[in-house]
Amino acid sequence: MIAWVVRRVAASVAIIWAVVTLTFFVIHAARGSPFLPEQSQSVSPETLDRLRRQFGLDRSLPEQYVLYLRNLARGELGESFVLRRPVADALADAMPHTFFLALAALLIDFTAGLALGIYQAVRERSVGDVVLGNVALFVNSMPTFWLGLVLLLGFAQWLHWFPTGGPSDPVLCPRVDSLPCLLDFFWHLTLPALTLGLVGAAGTARFQRAAMLEVIRQEYVRTARAKGLREGRVLLVHALRNALLPFITLVGLAFPFLLTGAVLVETVYSWPGMGLLAVRAILQRDYYVVTGAALVTSAMVVLGSLMADLLYAVADPRIRVRGA
Amino acid sequence: MVIAATGEPDILLPPVSEFATTRDVTEPIFLKLADLGLSGNTVGDEDFQPQLAQRWEWDAPTTLVFHLDPRAHWQDGQAVTAADVAFTYDVYTDTVVNSPFRSSLRHIAAVTTRDSLTVVFRFRQRYPEMFYDAVYHMRIMPAHLLRELPRDQWRSTPFGRAPVGDGPYRFVAWKAGQSIELAADSTFFLGRPHIRRLIFRFTPDQQVAVIQLLAGDADVIEVLITPDNVERACADAKLACYPYKGSAYGYVGFNLAAPGDSTKPHPLFGDRDLRRALVLATDRERPLHNVFGDLARVPPGPMSQLWWVWDPEIRELPYDSAQAARLLTRLGWIDSDGDGIRDKDGRELSFRLLVPTTSAIRRQYARLLQEEFRTAGVDVQLDEVDFTLFNERARAGRFDALLTTWNTDPTPSSGFPQIWTKAGFGRSNYGRYFNPQVDQLVDRAVTSAMNRDQARRAWRSAFEILNQDAPGIFLFATENVAAVNKRFTDVTIRPDSWMALVRTWRVPPDRLTDRDRVER
Repeated sequence: MIAWVVRRVAASVAIIWAVVTLTFFVIHAARGSPFLPEQSQSVSPETLDRLRRQFGLDRSLPEQYVLYLRNLARGELGESFVLRRPVADALADAMPHTFFLALAALLIDFTAGLALGIYQAVRERSVGDVVLGNVALFVNSMPTFWLGLVLLLGFAQWLHWFPTGGPSDPVLCPRVDSLPCLLDFFWHLTLPALTLGLVGAAGTARFQRAAMLEVIRQEYVRTARAKGLREGRVLLVHALRNALLPFITLVGLAFPFLLTGAVLVETVYSWPGMGLLAVRAILQRDYYVVTGAALVTSAMVVLGSLMADLLYAVADPRIRVRGA
Repeated sequence: MVIAATGEPDILLPPVSEFATTRDVTEPIFLKLADLGLSGNTVGDEDFQPQLAQRWEWDAPTTLVFHLDPRAHWQDGQAVTAADVAFTYDVYTDTVVNSPFRSSLRHIAAVTTRDSLTVVFRFRQRYPEMFYDAVYHMRIMPAHLLRELPRDQWRSTPFGRAPVGDGPYRFVAWKAGQSIELAADSTFFLGRPHIRRLIFRFTPDQQVAVIQLLAGDADVIEVLITPDNVERACADAKLACYPYKGSAYGYVGFNLAAPGDSTKPHPLFGDRDLRRALVLATDRERPLHNVFGDLARVPPGPMSQLWWVWDPEIRELPYDSAQAARLLTRLGWIDSDGDGIRDKDGRELSFRLLVPTTSAIRRQYARLLQEEFRTAGVDVQLDEVDFTLFNERARAGRFDALLTTWNTDPTPSSGFPQIWTKAGFGRSNYGRYFNPQVDQLVDRAVTSAMNRDQARRAWRSAFEILNQDAPGIFLFATENVAAVNKRFTDVTIRPDSWMALVRTWRVPPDRLTDRDRVER
């Protein structure tokens, strides 16, 4: 098991390095110059040259890459051209927001998806199953940003049930340092998390329905019922445990989806997370922010996948045996 | 008061940033010596309002003396002195700091102190906007806090993320990507402002900003941009709309030089008559109404509505499709193969129009123009690229024509020469337009006219010659509409800087909400 974990960690590091390297060269190869953001039209050629020198962009690309890796090894992610602050600081500000958004979305995704999937499997081919199946398909087909705009218009602008964006009320709760402000944070989190979580939940429900249907037809489930166990116990203890195995894989797969979906949701809801930071940085050719965001995002995805593998190994003894 | 803002400042240090949002946020933090009056008159000194300077006088035709208000102080308690003013001039003109405003101060020879409250400006020559140049471009910086800062570190100093100013509002907090908060300074020497807190709330999208306003999550938006937004906001019972002159103009600029090789003329647009024909073929009113409704006007040349030289009587090429067709035919551009596109010597009359994808308005305009040109037998291919690439290609001259907009200062004196004279080569004169007569007239208007009428005449002649040369098709000059929650009264917006008079805005006691009462 330890050897397996070591191998997986080593592979993870290699994947992150590959992502960072690819991002570094792709963003440098992208046409368009940094230091010419939209709001600034009259930067002089002399200033441009000086800024390029200041940030080391006058060196050859391999030189810049080696320098970047050397700094990275020392824990330095460079300086943002646009934000005029260390990239690490910008990422540290953005990361918690994306983390909480992804966590909340994940909770909605799996709680709702699991419940719906089980309900549909148990009432296979009933009216409820058919209706929920179609609703799930409809929601799953929606582009995230469109669902975000619909929820924003409906629940924020028209009904005023939720705020229109941002992580907190800037007047009453500039900092989350009290219980009312913590509740305000969750209130602000609801719509972005719902947007991201509902689309995922629709997919999870379909997946879980299929897994559950397969399991409840197994002989051991029939045996459990024949033994006279209550239906709830049969489903939740005997059937669900085995139906959850593919679900764990889904946890690992959900991470990349949540992080890419967050890019759009964060834009719609002005949620100051990694997605918004990365989009702005790409548009402004803020090289080190883009590379830093790719580093952190790939690390989160790899970590998510690693955790899913570990959970899978814990849940399924066959994997543990093979791994050992 | 929560302000829905679609951009975020890069740094809160006026000498090193020209972002519009930096200007908006720093406007209430740092003062000028004097500020432009509501008339927007930039000539002479009679329409300027005292700020840090209590009064001023002319010692000689090129010597201007300011007397600082002895009550003025920095928010850390130190007095504002003449040394701060001299230091500020030194910073703005330092080549290492390389302020975007440095060239605007080129006519000032020196700034010296006479005593702790008296500062002397010496100019190289006499000209109509001397006073404007002395006061408008510089926000006075605290020498005691910044003197030791190496000049090459001004663009990333921590002071720029937590500034100490001398204005009616003090900096409180900057949450990156979210908001910047300012609080009223109760010790401000000209009187505490009425609104206790200003919170700039950043959103990446204009439509989301409008939704925030309509939902009551924001109190103010500077500009609604589209007719649809204006209609929605102005119909909302809790909002009041405030129209004011816009500072932007937009145009199709022709590249007069060959793309990527400025030594050769452009194969199409090097020909003045061809450019004139394209201008004659363009109905500028129709796309303007389609895109802006009543929120813009067709400008009589490359100018914003803000400029005092705006004059509908300035001669320009009219919309005359018949004359355009005749001119194109005379130049040899005829549709010889019947495909609807004119051609000459086996080459179709076709060019590429560079458009930034980040501007929905310009993309919409580009499609409407493409259709207009098609009916005139001209093929236009759109090059839609993100703004960074747009900017890079524009600067390098790698385009046939581009659809661009400029935000202007209140006077043509600083912006116009950078875009439409030889001084702008390698900078903002992307199309490399040059007519010595225009340069001469602009120089006369800026430096040697002795009064506003003389300057106006020179400007008018320059615009008329430029219009006849047709270096571009001048499409729109914007009219802005701000929306403000009706709780706020005494709302006055100065068109060149909408936040300039926010100190005088107020909320009457009977309309105060709990949110307005929050202190920091």
